[in-house]
Amino acid sequence: MVTEVPSPPGSSASCEIRIVNDISEMARVADLVDQFGVAHSLSNEVIVALNVSLDEILNNIICYAYQDAGPHEITVRLELRHESVEAFVEDDGKPFDPLAVTTPRPRSVGREGGVGLHFVRSLTDQVRYTRRDGINQLWFMKKLTR
Amino acid sequence: MKLVEAVSDDVTIVEAYGRLDSTTAKEFGERLISLVQSGRCSIVLDLKNIAYISSAGFRALLIAKKATAEREGKLALCGVIGEVRRLFEIGAFTEEFLICPTQADGIGKLRQ
Repeated sequence: MVTEVPSPPGSSASCEIRIVNDISEMARVADLVDQFGVAHSLSNEVIVALNVSLDEILNNIICYAYQDAGPHEITVRLELRHESVEAFVEDDGKPFDPLAVTTPRPRSVGREGGVGLHFVRSLTDQVRYTRRDGINQLWFMKKLTR
Repeated sequence: MKLVEAVSDDVTIVEAYGRLDSTTAKEFGERLISLVQSGRCSIVLDLKNIAYISSAGFRALLIAKKATAEREGKLALCGVIGEVRRLFEIGAFTEEFLICPTQADGIGKLRQ
């Protein structure tokens, strides 16, 4: 007889989390990334790349994407591929293509605006932005390192 | 995020644990600023148990550095290793901070 044990969050080859647009929600995403990383024996480099990139992207969305004060849902999905991890982030904020922003390398307080996206581009292997049916869809891919 | 503080005469040693990101940067920055405001403005910050630092975390570090300088103190970092060191390099932050190999080196630098 086989007993079905519910798998812990983040242990299947893909996982998804929905958060509301509040900074305090972001720790749940980082927890999920850590669990996903442990469950699939991802290297620390990959886990850090996912965590930092998602922190930058979600912080941007939560702080700048919404013109009203109401709650909005943001979806984050991670998918493990053979040689990479893909992350999908969807929000219904105003259209924003982070790839259209030039990223200088700010070095002091007050000029830090572009450094977050510089981190995303440097830590990931591919980033893509699409706007579809009023939804911003950001996708990025990180190759696996062992 | 957890901060463990110790005092060695005129130098305060702060060991940080966990993530330094959008969620934790505010509380982290406020604690460092409050140390500076209470006169503890020579600080060695040990990052060896930090998993990663995002731009929000670097912003808090820059603000803390500025606060110590305004009080004629100084912020020294140590334990900048592994992925955290790589993030310092990617963000071009290595030149922005006094980075020392160990806590003892940091304390020594601050007393020079």
